[in-house]
Amino acid sequence: MAPPIYSALIISLGLGTTMTFASTHWYLAWMGIEINTLAIIPLMAQNHIPRAIEATTKYFFVQATASATLLFAGISNAFLTGQWDITYTPYTLTSTLITLALAMKIGLAPLHSWMPEVMQGLNLLTGLILSTWQKLAPLYLIYQIQPNNPNIFIALGLLSIIVGGWGGFNQVQLRKILAYSSIAHLGWMILILSFSPPLALLTIIIYILMTFSLFSSFMLTRTTHINSLSTTWAKIPILTISTPLILLSLGGLPPLTGFMPKWMILQELTKQSLCPLATMAALSSLFSLYFYLRLSYAMTLTMPPNNPAGTLPWRLNPRHNTLPLALTTTSTICLLPMTPAIMSLMPF
Amino acid sequence: MSLPNISRVSASGLLRSSCDLRWLLRSVAPLAAPRRALTHMGYRRPGQPREDRPPWWRVKFDLAKGLKGMKRHFKLLKEEFFAPFVGPMGKPIIEHMLEQNQVLWEFRGPHSLQEWTISCDREIGGKSEIYLKVGRNNESCLLYGTLCSDPPKDGETRYSGYCTMRSKQPLASFDRKKYHDWSSFNTLHLRVRGDGRPWMINIVPETYYTHQKDDMYSYFLYTRGGPYWQDVKIPFSKFFLAHRGRIQDDQHPVWLDKINSIGFTLGDKADGPFQLEIDFIGVCKDYAHTEDFAYEKYKRNPEV
Repeated sequence: MAPPIYSALIISLGLGTTMTFASTHWYLAWMGIEINTLAIIPLMAQNHIPRAIEATTKYFFVQATASATLLFAGISNAFLTGQWDITYTPYTLTSTLITLALAMKIGLAPLHSWMPEVMQGLNLLTGLILSTWQKLAPLYLIYQIQPNNPNIFIALGLLSIIVGGWGGFNQVQLRKILAYSSIAHLGWMILILSFSPPLALLTIIIYILMTFSLFSSFMLTRTTHINSLSTTWAKIPILTISTPLILLSLGGLPPLTGFMPKWMILQELTKQSLCPLATMAALSSLFSLYFYLRLSYAMTLTMPPNNPAGTLPWRLNPRHNTLPLALTTTSTICLLPMTPAIMSLMPF
Repeated sequence: MSLPNISRVSASGLLRSSCDLRWLLRSVAPLAAPRRALTHMGYRRPGQPREDRPPWWRVKFDLAKGLKGMKRHFKLLKEEFFAPFVGPMGKPIIEHMLEQNQVLWEFRGPHSLQEWTISCDREIGGKSEIYLKVGRNNESCLLYGTLCSDPPKDGETRYSGYCTMRSKQPLASFDRKKYHDWSSFNTLHLRVRGDGRPWMINIVPETYYTHQKDDMYSYFLYTRGGPYWQDVKIPFSKFFLAHRGRIQDDQHPVWLDKINSIGFTLGDKADGPFQLEIDFIGVCKDYAHTEDFAYEKYKRNPEV
């Protein structure tokens, strides 16, 4: 893609999300989300291969439907309440419609079916943008609306954790596994959103760190299938050590950073006397942990059937900039001891 | 082989219905694979009789068959439900990790022909013939027939002369489409014994848009005549994109995670009998083959 066009699209992506962040009017928020959607469409379709076009089309249909529903709900809310403020949604009907529209936007269960197919058709960089940046604006809006009845958030959250774990069971394609991982993590965020919004913010920040490092690792080794993970040791040996740790962090195992949000969420749910819910969420995340462990096993504890002939390949300087990977990997692995400091900074 | 005795059918009855036409032209080989219907819905070629029967007359309602079908589908559903407990797609993960070769179709009996369908230009009014049967000692399949390039005299077809064999779409429970996932592999491995004719191997992946339904990725299979078997290994990077037989300018490698079917087509314009014997069709992973794609991916309107 020509650099000026590429830059314009990236800037539009940033503009759309920023516009949504800065808005208090439903129209402006919706406009920001639409700019986001339209900016990523050419990025997804830049390869002109059938699967990428299919992924782009499916993504566009889903996002357009969700945007239309969101706009309808916003206008209905304005009609019923007489004002356009995002934070004022006293009617259950409109707040539920908005929640469902935004759930479809980010791929929460039961509106998640598009996510694995779309991710499978994209390259890893575009998949990374889809998993991280494209979630920010809708999550911000969900954060703002704060419905009176948290049951819908609990239902969406728990269902997403279960579906995200169960769906990843049957996958060997890494992009689909990452899609289901995204669904499960979003479930955790939505689950705690109505009880402690700062914890949801913490969860999404840590999720973005972990996902970024995992996607970057896969981009460096150019792996998209589980069996090509076993040759990572011959390409970049250090990744054979760091990527399993990133995966286990995503699975929420201590002493890695990924344990922090899960620990805090379970603690908060317990304080809210929702112990059965906390138990179900923790048990459901074991499904996700299983396929993360499977990826770690594939990478570190298996050797490909044949040994490479001769010596290891030359370890040339990688063409990609590895500084973001280094920073995010360190954050993904080592931030758990900083939990007290992070908690003190969170505005509870 | 001889044609069935048609003298008992009156001339007016010959063209009365498509059922009669199928009886007239069907294969006489006892183990031949079932053919597709000669009269497809949609466009009616000039000279072909109209389909006068309403659709519900063409369906054979049978309670016993329905119950048997339900039992089969629920059994498949149960297998699909419990398969993830074994591993992805019912195979343990260690198998996904370590597999280097997988035999997809091995012709070892009449049951192995059920997954294949054959077709030739007789559907468009041509004169070729094709049959499929199990080979000697139930150890292979034999695709044979006669190729004839004479175009049908319908005033619109200019070329003719093709015979093809294609695998059927794999189906899950309740006839949902299933796909072959060959993403762990990079080479197609066949063991064939031909008669020296050049064949075309066609891979048809799953597509999304209607206008892509005739997309296929093709490559050549040059057979040697002679008594010896031939092991053919074709990397998937060599397959090029064609649409309705026309090679496209914008090329890209075939995506192997959703393959609908594979087929063999003969269309070398050499009229006469042909034979192709196939032992097995499989896929393998050749670690020495690192090519992504064999052809240039041209931009038709490059930026200046």
